[in-house]
Formats: sequence, structure tokens, C-alpha cells
Amino acid sequence: MFVLSKADVPRFLAHLAGRYELYGPVLHPESGDTFFDRAADPSAVRLDAPIPTNTPKFTVFPHFERILSYKYDQTTKDVRIIPEELVRPKALVGLRSCDLKGLLCFDRFFLGQEFVDEFYRAHRRKMFLVANTCATPFPQCFCVCTDSGPYAAEGYDVNLTDLGDAYLFETGSDAGRAAAGELGLPAAGPEASRRRDAVVDRSIALFEPRAVENKAWISRAVNRLTTGFVKNETWEYIGQQCFECGACSFVCPSCSCFNIEDVNRVNGTTDRIRTWDSCSFEGYARMAGEHNPRRPVEDRRNKRFFCKLSYSQSKKYLRPGCVGCGRCVRVCPGDIGMANVVTAIRREITGK
Amino acid sequence: MDISRNAAAVSLPVPAVITEIQEEIADVRTYFFRFEDPELERTFAVRSGQFVMCTIFGAGEFAVSLPWSPEGDRRHLSVRNVGKVTSALHALEVGDKIGIRGPFGNGFPFDAIKGRNLIYVAGGIGLIPLRSSIVHALLHRSDFGRIILLYGAKSARELMYRPLIEEWRKREGFETYVTIDRSEPGWNGEVGFVHTLIEKAKVPVTDTVAFVCGPPIMFNAVIGELSARGLKDDCIISTLERHMKCGIGKCQHCAIGRTLVCTDGPVYTFKQIKTLGETI
Amino acid sequence: MSYLTGVCNFCGTGCGHVLNVEAGAIRGVFPSSAHPVSRGRLCGRGWHIHELLNTEERISRPLLRKNGVLSAVSWDEALDFAAARLAGYSGREIGFWASPRSSNEDVYALVRLARAAFRSPNISVLSDVWYRSTAGILREGTGRPGAPGMIADIRPADFILIVGTDLTRQNPIIASDVHFAARAGANVVTLSTRVTQIAKLSGTHLQNKPGTKKIVLAALAKVLSAGQAEGFEAFRKSLEDLRLEDVETLTGLSLATIRDVAGRLAAASRAVVIFSTGITGLNRETTALLFNLFLASGKLGREGCSLIPVTGVANLAGANDMGAAPDFLPGWRPVADESAAAAFARCWGSEIAAGRGRSVDELLADASSGLKALVVCDHDPEIAMAAERIRSLEFVLYLGSYLNPFMDAAHAVLPTASYAETDGTYTNTERRIQLNRKKIEPRFEARPAWKVFADLASRRGPAWPYRSSADIQDEIAQMIPAYGQATYPNLEARFGGLQWPADAAHPQGRPRLGGNPEDPRPRFVAVGGGFGPAASTADFPFRLMAGKSYYYWHLNNAMKKTFIPRREYNALLLLYPQGLVEIHPEDAAALGLRDKRPVRVVSARGMMVPQTRVTSEVPRGTVYAPYFVGAMVPDFLLPHADAVEYGEDAVIPVRLEKV
Repeated sequence: MFVLSKADVPRFLAHLAGRYELYGPVLHPESGDTFFDRAADPSAVRLDAPIPTNTPKFTVFPHFERILSYKYDQTTKDVRIIPEELVRPKALVGLRSCDLKGLLCFDRFFLGQEFVDEFYRAHRRKMFLVANTCATPFPQCFCVCTDSGPYAAEGYDVNLTDLGDAYLFETGSDAGRAAAGELGLPAAGPEASRRRDAVVDRSIALFEPRAVENKAWISRAVNRLTTGFVKNETWEYIGQQCFECGACSFVCPSCSCFNIEDVNRVNGTTDRIRTWDSCSFEGYARMAGEHNPRRPVEDRRNKRFFCKLSYSQSKKYLRPGCVGCGRCVRVCPGDIGMANVVTAIRREITGK
Repeated sequence: MDISRNAAAVSLPVPAVITEIQEEIADVRTYFFRFEDPELERTFAVRSGQFVMCTIFGAGEFAVSLPWSPEGDRRHLSVRNVGKVTSALHALEVGDKIGIRGPFGNGFPFDAIKGRNLIYVAGGIGLIPLRSSIVHALLHRSDFGRIILLYGAKSARELMYRPLIEEWRKREGFETYVTIDRSEPGWNGEVGFVHTLIEKAKVPVTDTVAFVCGPPIMFNAVIGELSARGLKDDCIISTLERHMKCGIGKCQHCAIGRTLVCTDGPVYTFKQIKTLGETI
Repeated sequence: MSYLTGVCNFCGTGCGHVLNVEAGAIRGVFPSSAHPVSRGRLCGRGWHIHELLNTEERISRPLLRKNGVLSAVSWDEALDFAAARLAGYSGREIGFWASPRSSNEDVYALVRLARAAFRSPNISVLSDVWYRSTAGILREGTGRPGAPGMIADIRPADFILIVGTDLTRQNPIIASDVHFAARAGANVVTLSTRVTQIAKLSGTHLQNKPGTKKIVLAALAKVLSAGQAEGFEAFRKSLEDLRLEDVETLTGLSLATIRDVAGRLAAASRAVVIFSTGITGLNRETTALLFNLFLASGKLGREGCSLIPVTGVANLAGANDMGAAPDFLPGWRPVADESAAAAFARCWGSEIAAGRGRSVDELLADASSGLKALVVCDHDPEIAMAAERIRSLEFVLYLGSYLNPFMDAAHAVLPTASYAETDGTYTNTERRIQLNRKKIEPRFEARPAWKVFADLASRRGPAWPYRSSADIQDEIAQMIPAYGQATYPNLEARFGGLQWPADAAHPQGRPRLGGNPEDPRPRFVAVGGGFGPAASTADFPFRLMAGKSYYYWHLNNAMKKTFIPRREYNALLLLYPQGLVEIHPEDAAALGLRDKRPVRVVSARGMMVPQTRVTSEVPRGTVYAPYFVGAMVPDFLLPHADAVEYGEDAVIPVRLEKV
């Protein structure tokens, strides 16, 4: 453990900017929104900013990208398949614990299982991750219920906690330790962990009562979702309020469903484009011919929450799919973000 | 099920050239192909029951079951024209190129079923994914007990592989029954739905595995009949189809409950299908 | 910063969003949490606008039809040719068709091109019919042709009435606000024949018989029978023909229900009434009754109370404000107003066509109109019910960003910049003028539309002085007092833009209209009588209604250039490739009709054979046909123009036959 003084933060960011493309929370002057964005100028990064509106997952899983292209000449029958150079060194700073957990879910999902997703791996290489302990939760946050914050226990190169006068600079990897060495940071004193723990405890105490109150219910919801005991009427009630916009999947740090389309360009090459997709849509699972295994909207709601919270998905990620960031609560036009769904399932159990 | 990764091309398609095209039934054509890369042409190995992702350059990619047997068979795909990408395939000619990724999926568990009777029950184009396994089993005839094919289609025009079936009929040790839904002039085979053949063929239920592939109505009727005769759920095998994009377990379009058809399947026992948590 | 703020260009809600721009291309979209209207949300269309903005299916170069084939030419050749051809016609022989998706600057420039450069008074906006009648009624009733309400009144409301409109499909984020209000305890009442999603989400669904909204609204107003505003007596008299005892038979709603709902509206302290205007709007009479009802309830101008005519397209309101109308100059000044005509003539340094022209729809519908040439901006051919007539014209100039089947009818095609490739302002459903800044350079050879119009104009007369769209907006601010403060610096300084009137007296704009001492006194709008039942006869016992759905709609052409909205469009279309009509299960059973089987729909004037979709979302005796699913509906509706004039309430008597 080391100490990074507040005055030294620009030096740290400049150090990263010299080796990586720097991404972090950036304040948007017009709207006052915070975005997780590329910071061409390191001083634009605001480590004290609120949770970014957008999800950092785009750094490893872009919204819209070309993964390869090809050119097929109809006359000569010549085929050229052109892979895309996707590796770009990136440093992500100011990562909230929930968003970091989302990245770790992605790692286990895209890099594990039967195959490695090579496009994800290319994006993910040469990444330096700097987490930021959340000192102030926001109204829709509930990471305490999903074991994903406000303090990141693993998965980072560096973890910063604001102790008031300086940052506690914890290293979690060789790269992190190397950075501490290159910056010549002083070691943290013996009271540092205690002070850090106090920051975390203070943060937890600030969560909305509902987040803490829901803690017991998320596990019950997980249980019922896994075993399929949630009544169809509940899914119909939830489904009726679904606007089928896909927003929940798009903002979720652990949602990784995608679509692939081949697009012919006017210059004769074809781009294979990969974009975000969502199981919210009626056409998502529909097959050629007519068979659509999840036509009714309630079936799709059922599927999504099963995917987020069931044990089987947890086995893939080694943790529940939901990281408690609360973004789905903010973006849902139908007000059926995770919190309200858990409430609806809870009502089934308790009647209130 | 065996799910070892034997994919030769995972993310980038490899080019293959169409060497011959054969008309099958309406809207279905067979495309014989060989890989451009001679090394791949030599080494590309598959298991029955697997599938590939086939790129039609300029149109897109689609999932297609492998109908060719791992040994002694020409590589080919039999594809029905149903949408944008498959209709682009149907516009191709001999000499045109396609792209292949794979093979993917788990495949039929041949090692685990040595010595058993094999019952193949198929409806319509459902015989295509089973073809690989049938040819493979016939090549290793002595490894199995009775081998029975029960095949049906709506009409004679919709029966796949009629020349091949004629050859199969003549083989000793391969019991073949072919039926069409309603009688037609010139048809001398069985008449009636395919599940009615189960009784006619006196299908055994001990030391037996049944492979079933066809439209949902047929599937349910066949399963019902086999189960009623006492065949256990884990001895009934099917191959499930789903909308697929990546083929390698990442895009999740093929998810059914807790399983991904492209990596956990596409071959499942009926026992597994019943617990998937969603209707197929 | 690669997340740049902008305004969604699909429906008329005007949601804020951010586009992710990287290496000169648009790589993604995200909602804007701080935006005053959308507050962090986007709908299924808005979430995929980046797919549209990345399509390769662009009109990339200027094209001229040579030997029957559209061939690429240089800009100069195309402009010279188009200008020369148009110059060969008198102003009355040309029609100018503005797009409700174009920016204010582009429409203003088109108006100048028409009236000043080509001396034509024939300019109109697509789908203007119901918007114009709504604006006319609001003008008559409040003195201003714009929504007397604001979207921000929805969430805190305690009573909301939604008249017609499949709101969650048409303007999803506005419907989302209604839903949040309902969840917070608001009393939400939906009046519609179909069981729409918003009907299911509201506390009370009044399922009226097809074509009877007018009667329901008249009954509600009659029950309230109060009103101090001017014109009340005449209004009361016009309702005399309606006997309240007849209401239940006519509409299917009991008088007790009517009294109850009217009472709730009157008693509410924060009441909002929402209806649709635009391609499926309510006809003039129904809209007038709705306005009068709102006035009679005492809510007009009250704090927390809003009447919101919802526009389904990004700049339908702005295009009309810019004077894309045969009888108005920019700013809703009648062409007959000599001082207005003189002011524009002075400003534009040219005589202008100041007589009343005719709308393009009228010109196309009238075979003897003398129309010979058409200048068209960004239209969908499925909406253009006059395809035959258009093809018979001597010269058609099409301008747009995206490839469009409309080009088949064009002699010249000019590529314009997409909305993300040029600066522009857009006016949403609640008079909110927002600036959308250019994000990327125009692709291929596209140019901003206003620039193309300027280049055409310079070949007809003196060059226009504009060097940028900001210059045009400055002129708009000068010439249209309500837009007086809507200059680019002001619009940028205030996140979320300004609601007009934004003038010297109200530099921050005005969120709600009415209720201020300076506002004209509201008055009841004249309404004709006639409260009979909607048509159906023994020969044609079913009532066919037409309307909207989520993905197939105005922007069919645009939707088809995306990935996911196109897939969702196909999700329904692939099930019903011949198009569909919705029929109640009991009716289907009685006729032997099954889902997806063809059904012959026969009216007194025509016939179509779409597929059946069996659903209990339509009542018995009703057939519902969503617009734009294939070309089935325009083809069938063509001879029923008089019925279709009733918009959402259009009822065509039909009979159904099993095929």
C-alpha cells in the first residue's frame, strides 16, 4: 500500500497518459453530466465525479465496431479476409467498483467458457485499471446488495481510496506495483487500512434504506429466479410496463449480448459489424421461418432477470450478474429496473 | 456430451470454393465444397451433430448443421432458401467462394453408445442433420445393434435423399421405413405420420438410443410414442436449432434458459431438454 | 470529449442524447441524464440512431436521369440542370414539399427558395393536414399556434387524459412520463378503441366504438357545461344536437362514466390532456372539441395544467413555424397580410409569391391543378399516396440523405447532409427549440440542404448572404419574433433549448402558454354539429381503422437502414408478409379466419387481401390496419381520402371474407 498525495494526482495521470490512452470520468460542461470518456488532456479527469452516466464497458466492448472486413471479387473469385487491428493500450481511471465487477464478469465470460472471444481479448490487452472507492453512493445504487462495492476487493492494477488529505494507493498487480515504483510513492503507514475501512463503512451507511433493506431480498429473488418459481402473473405485470427499448441491456455493465451484420461498402469491401443487442427485443431470438421462442414480452423479461440473477449465470461469472450500479433504474422508461423487479418478486413472497 | 474444442477457424472465416451444386427438394440445394487452403482441406475434422457458421460474402453468416460424415464422405451443406443470407447462397454458382468458421457444437456421443440399437426418427428436412450420423454408423456397423430409420414428410416431393434412401433400403442390417402424410399416386411406401412407424418397426427400448429431428409437432408426437413404449428420457437425443450469430457462446442469441445451444449443444438428450427452463 | 450532446431526430419528443464520435465517425449513442425532456431515457428507435447514421445506403452523389437511368454528375451540372428546368415553369406550376424531419434552417431556406427564387406559393409539409388544423384551432383559441402546455407538467399531474394515440409506440418517452405519473398515483384515463399499451397502463380505459371520439369529447364538454371564456354560448348551442341519453348507444360508454371522467378532470388541480397530431391525428372537429373541453374544464393557462398535441416527427412543429404552408409566411403570418409580405420581400431582396397557394397534397390530388414540377425533401413513398400522379409530372427534384425508393420517380437527385452532419435547430412538440450541432463531416458529396437551396437560388437571382446555418437562424430570429432569442449562442447557453415565444420580453422562453395577463384571452373555438354514429351498413358491417405502430411508421425508409429496428420491423413483417389487419378472436372464429391466413377486406370502393392477426386488443366489430406495413394500406386507402381525412378516427365500413 502506498500514498498518492492529491497534488501528485496529475503526475500519476500524466504517467499513465504517456503509456496508454487515458479514459476516466469527465465532466460535460453543457449538461453537467459525467461521462466515462477518453481524456486527451489528463487534467479533464475528475476522480471526485459522480458515477458516469455511461458504462465503461464500451472500452472493451464497443457499441458499434468493425471486427473484420473482406473483399470478394465476383469475377476473379478472389477472397481477401482482412482482420482488424483492435489492440490499443488503454488506462481506465476512476472505475467504480460496480463497473470494475462488470469488467471482471466480461473477462470470465469472454475469455473463459469454451472459446476465447478474440475481439474482446484484443480490446482487453494492455489495459491498466485504476479503481476508485465510492465514498458517496447515489440514490439508485445498490452494490451493497450484490457484493460489488463500494470497495473493490480484486481485479484492479491500482485501487484508490480518498482518505481526505491523500489517496490510499493499493496495488493489485505487477503493473500496479511497477507504477508505484516508477512514481516513487511513499509507503502507506500502519493506520492506512483502518482509515480506508472507515471510508468504506461511512459510504455503506449512506446507502438508501431500500438498498440495504433489499439486501436480504436479492438473495431470495435469486433463489426464486433460479428455480423458476416466479409466477407468470408477475412477469406479465412487469412485461406490461416494458417499452422494449433495450436500454437495460445497453447500460448494464455485465450485459454482453451482441449482433453481427455484414455491411457492403460502396468501395466494394464488406465490413462485419458487431453491435450491442438486447434480449428485450422480440426479434432477438426469432429464427428464420416463424419460430420465436420468446415472443411474448413477459417471456423476455423473465429471461433477462433469470440471466442476471440465477445461479447458472453466476457460475459463468463466479458472482451474480447484477453489479448494483442502478443504471437500469435510471434509464428504464417503464420504471422496471432491477430494484422494482426485485420488489415485485418480493411481493410474491411476502404479499407486500 | 463431448465438448472438446476442435474448431479450426473460430473468429475469422476461412475461404472454401463450391465444387458442385445439387438440387434437392423444393428450395433446398446441396453445395459441395473444398477449402482453399490445402492443409485445412486435409485436416478439417468434424463430429456428427456439429455445425459450422457459413459466410456468404456480401450477405452475412448463418449457422448450418453438418450433414457429411467424418469419414469417407464429401464435404457439403444442404441449405433451404428461407431468408436474406440463404437466398444469397442460392444465387451462387460452382466456382464461387464461401467462408467457414467452425466446426462448433458438441456432436453425437458415439463413444458412449457403442453396442446399442440406434433408432433415427426424422421429419422433412430434419433428416439433414442426422445424415452424418447415419452414414457414420453404417461405416461402423458392427459397433451397434439394430439400426432403424423412420422417416417421413408431408408428401413425396418433400422427402430428402431419396436416391440415398434407396441405397440404404438395399443394405442388410439397416431397417428403413419411409412414410408420407397422405397417399399419392405412384407412392408405394408407408402412409401416415412418422410416429406411427414406431409401432410398425417394433422399435426396441432396451439398450437403445433414439435420434429425433424434425418440426415441433412431429417431435412431440414421436417423443410421446417412444416414452410410452418405455424408452428413457436420457436415451432420446435431439439436435436443437436456434438463431445464432457468433457460434462460440458469446452473443447469447441461442440461449435457452441456462444453456447456450452453440456450445452446450446443439445435441441434447430429451432429459436435458425437459429441464432447460424454457420451451423449445 | 467524444460524447457530444445532440437531439434525437426521430419523433417529436425531442429527447436529448449524446453521440459517441471517434475518428470522424459516429460510434454509439447514449441517453442524456440531465436533459429536461428525456431525463436519461431513450426509446428503441433513439437507441439505434447511430446505426442509421452509419449506413452506407446514402445518396452519395448528385444524380441526373439520362436515358432512363440515374447517373452521377458533378454538383454544378446537377444544379445548373435543376435550376434551368424549374425556371421553365411558372411558380404555380411547381410544388415544394418540405420534410418534417428537416431543420428549421433548411425549411426556412426552402420557403425562401419557393416564394422568392421561384415565385411559387405552393409549399407544404408532409403530414401537415392534422398539424395545421390543430395549430389553427390553438391559434383561434389561445392566439398562438403552439402547444399551450409542456411535457414537464406530466409527471407531477394528478389527472391525465390521453385521447387516442398509441402513445408508447408513437412518443415513447412522453408515454413514459405518463407511466411514472400513474405510478406516483395520478389518475390516468385513456380514450381509445384499441387496447393499446398505454391503455393497459392507465387506471381507466374508455374503449369507445370506432369513430366516436368526437361524440365522447362533446359529451364530456356538455357535462361540464361551464365556461366564462368568449364564444361559450355559441359552443353550448353547437352541442344542443347531442342528446346525453344517446351517448351510450353511440359510443359504448355509459353516461355515468362520462360524468365521472368529466368530474375528475374538472376537480383536478394539475391536469394534462394529450392527443396526437400529425399523420394520425384527430380531425378538425374532434380537435376543436378537445380544445373546448380543456377550456371548459378551466385548466387552460393554470399552473400545472397542459394541453399537449403530440407530434410524431422531429420537426413537424418547426417546419410549420417556418412557414412551409401555402397560406402562411414564416412565423404564421398569413400571406394576405400585406405588411408581412412586404417585410419578407424587403428581407429577401425580391418580390415574393404572396398569393395563397395550394398544398402539394391538394395539387397532386387535383388532376387539373396544372402541377408540372415538384421539389421534394426526404419523403417516404409509402406515405405518398399519389405515386401515380408523381410519376406523371414533367420534372421531379428529390433531395435527401438516404437512398429512397422515391428516387425512382425523380429526374434529378441531390444528396443532402444527414442531421448529424450539419448544424440545425428543431422544434419539438412543446415549442422547444433545440440546437443540434454538427458531429461529423458530410459523407460522400452530401451538402447541407440550405446550401443546396442557396446554390439553386443563386442561379435564379442574386446570391443569398448566408455563410452558415447560424446565419439563417439569425435571420429567423429577426423575422419571427417568437424565435427572437433562439440564436445559436443563446440556445447553447441554455441546455435543453428555449420554448417559444423566446423574445425580448421572455429571453428564457415560456414553458407554458396562457394564464399570463399579456396572453390573449382564450376563447372557445367554433365547432360544427353532427353527432351521428360512425358509418357501417349491413353490407359492410365491420369498421376499419388505420393507425400507427412502433417500427413501421414515418421513418420506414430510415428504419430499414438500421440493424435492430429493421430486424424488429421484420419480426412482424416476416410473420405477415402480405401485411396484416387485426381482428378480434370472436369475430375471427365466427368468420372461420385464422391467424396468418389471408382475409379479403372489401369496402364500397376497394379491396385488399392482407393476412389476419387475431388479437383481443381490438374490440368486436372492428378491424385495425397499421400504416406502412408493406404498401397495402396506402393502396387501399387511396380511394378513401375523405374518410382518411378523419385521421385516427377514420372509419371505413368493410366486410371481411375468408379467402
